[in-house]
Amino acid sequence: MPTTETEFLHEVAASEYKYGWETNVEADTIPKGLDEEVVRLISAKKEEPQWLLEWRLRAWRHWEKLAANPSEAYPRWPHLTYTEPDFRNITYYSSPSKKPRYESLDEVDPELLETFERLGIPLAEQEKLAGVAVDVVLDSVSVHTTFKEELAELGIIFCSFGDAVQEHPELVQKYMGSVVPYTDNFYAALNAAVFSDGSFCYIPKGVRCPMELSTYFRINQAGTGQFERTLIIAEEGSYVSYLEGCTAPMRDENQLHAAVVEIVAEANAEVKYSTIQNWYPGDNEGRGGVYNFVTKRGICKGDRAKISWTQLETGSAITWKYPSVILKGDGSVGEFYSVAFTKGQQQADTGTKMVHVGKNTKSTIISKGISGGRSNNSYRGLVKINKGAERARNFSQCDSMLLGDRCGAHTFPYIEIKNPSAQVEHEATTSKIGEDQLFYCFQRGIGEEAAIKLIVNGFCKEILAKLPMEFAVEAQKLLDIELEGSVG
Amino acid sequence: MSHPHALASLEASFVDAFEAHAGLLAKNGTGPAEALPFAMAPALRRQALNRFRDLGVPSRKNEAWKYTNIPEALAAGFAVSPAAPPSDALPARWRDCLLPGLNAHVVALVNGRFSSAHSMIGDLPEGVAICGLETAATTCPDILRRHLGRYADWETESLTALNTAFARDGLFVYVPKGTVLEKPIYALHLSTTNERLFLQPRHLLVFEENAQARIVERYCGLEGEATFTNAVTEIFVGERAVVETYLVQDPGDEHSVVSTTQAYQEAASTFSTATITLDGKVVRNNLNVLPNAPHCETHLYGLFLPAGDTQVDNRTLVDHAKPDCVSNELYKGVLNDRASGVFNGKVFVRQDAQRINAFQENKTIVLNNEATMNAKPELEIYADDVKCSHGATTGQLDPEALFYLRSRGMSKRQAQGLLLHAFAGDILERISIEPLREMLDERVTRLFGG
Repeated sequence: MPTTETEFLHEVAASEYKYGWETNVEADTIPKGLDEEVVRLISAKKEEPQWLLEWRLRAWRHWEKLAANPSEAYPRWPHLTYTEPDFRNITYYSSPSKKPRYESLDEVDPELLETFERLGIPLAEQEKLAGVAVDVVLDSVSVHTTFKEELAELGIIFCSFGDAVQEHPELVQKYMGSVVPYTDNFYAALNAAVFSDGSFCYIPKGVRCPMELSTYFRINQAGTGQFERTLIIAEEGSYVSYLEGCTAPMRDENQLHAAVVEIVAEANAEVKYSTIQNWYPGDNEGRGGVYNFVTKRGICKGDRAKISWTQLETGSAITWKYPSVILKGDGSVGEFYSVAFTKGQQQADTGTKMVHVGKNTKSTIISKGISGGRSNNSYRGLVKINKGAERARNFSQCDSMLLGDRCGAHTFPYIEIKNPSAQVEHEATTSKIGEDQLFYCFQRGIGEEAAIKLIVNGFCKEILAKLPMEFAVEAQKLLDIELEGSVG
Repeated sequence: MSHPHALASLEASFVDAFEAHAGLLAKNGTGPAEALPFAMAPALRRQALNRFRDLGVPSRKNEAWKYTNIPEALAAGFAVSPAAPPSDALPARWRDCLLPGLNAHVVALVNGRFSSAHSMIGDLPEGVAICGLETAATTCPDILRRHLGRYADWETESLTALNTAFARDGLFVYVPKGTVLEKPIYALHLSTTNERLFLQPRHLLVFEENAQARIVERYCGLEGEATFTNAVTEIFVGERAVVETYLVQDPGDEHSVVSTTQAYQEAASTFSTATITLDGKVVRNNLNVLPNAPHCETHLYGLFLPAGDTQVDNRTLVDHAKPDCVSNELYKGVLNDRASGVFNGKVFVRQDAQRINAFQENKTIVLNNEATMNAKPELEIYADDVKCSHGATTGQLDPEALFYLRSRGMSKRQAQGLLLHAFAGDILERISIEPLREMLDERVTRLFGG
């Protein structure tokens, strides 16, 4: 038994060292808590080079400074009510478990399987998603290899962030943190200090990625950590379409997700980034559920570059997410298409930021919010026209639909203009499903639930159509499923 | 709550001033202390001051004050003196602030104090009172007790709390049940001072059931040092009353104003207001309307035409607490030189306020490279059977319209002036008081030519 506090501390320090990075530990998970040692430990476990460790440590020190003054540190401006997570009581590293959770699909929760079925997810993928042990010669594995070869031939690098650090350190070092520096915000600093893994994608000059990286990604994304970091670099004249997440419900136990996504688009490059987010939203009383605090930003570095964000947000208890585009190159284009659906006790504060720096830059924002139950759904977006952004153009449209009388739909657009030649338009509407629309459906023998699904799908159609084709179909089905039980 | 050092000292200076004048503030200038109405009682002043100390001077970290730096505007230092006597000697130029041809009840306030020497109230219908708030504390104590301090939110708004702590005089208007005031009221807020003054007038406008009235309030700066005005206006609009108010701000480029208005509407009443800002250093208007009963109608209009280094920040809130109401809002601005403009409008629909029809629109033209416009039109909706929408546009004059006029032989300046005039005309044409419209029309012409 330790007799004094100092001795106790020594003991604790010594006991931690036992599992330190010097020894090759078998454990997948490091102890709960957050301090400099944890940052060092994560870096060591991933065998990271010195520069990356130093970067993490700089981020860690910045975060610590912010956390020391909580009233200033946490973003308090969102229209969200929740208790901040206890950051010192979270496990910050857990390597993907290699053990399958189930031996066969028969053991999987039938409700989950039914959802898969209705979403139309192929059997092999169902197994993977549910965490079923997969045979060695499974289709997906061979598909995976074929893809990898095809991509490599074109010079496309697509791998985990960890692998990229080992194999392409010069690219990672050059671009990491260049779009979202660790000083950006509280959660970006946290992510930079403790990020576990993520994806890295590099498209060389003039290459048009022949497939939706989504297809590949969906098969390989199981087990990504809660602090993901994604970096996409599109060289001059290249094109890539990338999909993150999937329509299948993610029974994720992690309470806090703080991801960072960075996109760099050089001259004439185009990056299309689509997200479908369907994490655990908590139960109907608002207990549990994922906190989704994400920083996503792309920069149109070269002239005529284009970055397009499309998102379908249906999950998470709390969503705090503003995919942004910095339009630096002249004539560059930024787009944001979003459908956010909240029900139960969910809260979403999501939108975008379009920062116009270059001349003749254009941005389009179309956001559709649907709220049901006792949820609150807010659009918050910034359109900023800097002084040098001659003839910049923006169009924003935010429509909200209320499915009950106990939910809220809000719009908080910020428009900041420093150039007289800018043309900025914003419009927003809030309404419920029109009685005349419902009547029209009833008259033709369509029941209430089917009618509402039809109308809501129509409301979101222009966004869903922006998703890669196979996902558009699934997304539509997902919305249908989500709508069940939230109408009444 | 922690504040940066500079801010803390700013707050301390207000607290010190309060202590220094506590004796004066504790009694009513003209009447016995017992007669003090609710909001002027020493205990409440103390409470409001404490509230102000807790909330602090709003800094830009406060989301509601994101675009306007009040600590910076106050940094020059202003004497906080509730004791400033009403000045009888005004520079002759003050008459320029009157509107020629306007047949009205003219009330003048000098440095926040009612000045009978400069007022020309004239005959009033029976029961109507137009005077200084300090006088009203003696003549209409019941009205003050019922309304003063009941609407403006000093619990969460720090500058309203500060005003409540110091409030002593201001404009008081009372129009009793069923009375129609034919002539408009023209309230002139003048300032002339040898030292930099922090003024805190408190206005109370009460319109009872079925009353009808029109009020023009104008802030004019005369010669002398700069002032910072922290004004709070409370407006009560009774059942089926029809009230039209205008706030015209041309205090001069040295003077800063924070004007907080809280209007409270009873059933089936109509309240329309226009806020017109022509100049000033830092001008911030908080306009809150609470239609607290069904079938209310609310119209908010705004026109801001800042040039030079003027900063204009308009923040509005229509808080639909009850069902079956209509609100309509239109704010237009033209920004020149290094001016900056802010429009932050919010439509709030509470849970049980069904069948609300709310519309909000903001249009701004930026004329100059150095000018900045920030718009934040917000909707916060908790009821489902509503029709709410807003639109915001910022841009420059339509090049095709300009070309059309130029092709017909107009100079660039003429063409621009004509178009800007038409742009501002959308607001001006809604002004029902002819001489006021003419004065503003002329100001617009002078600003833009054409």
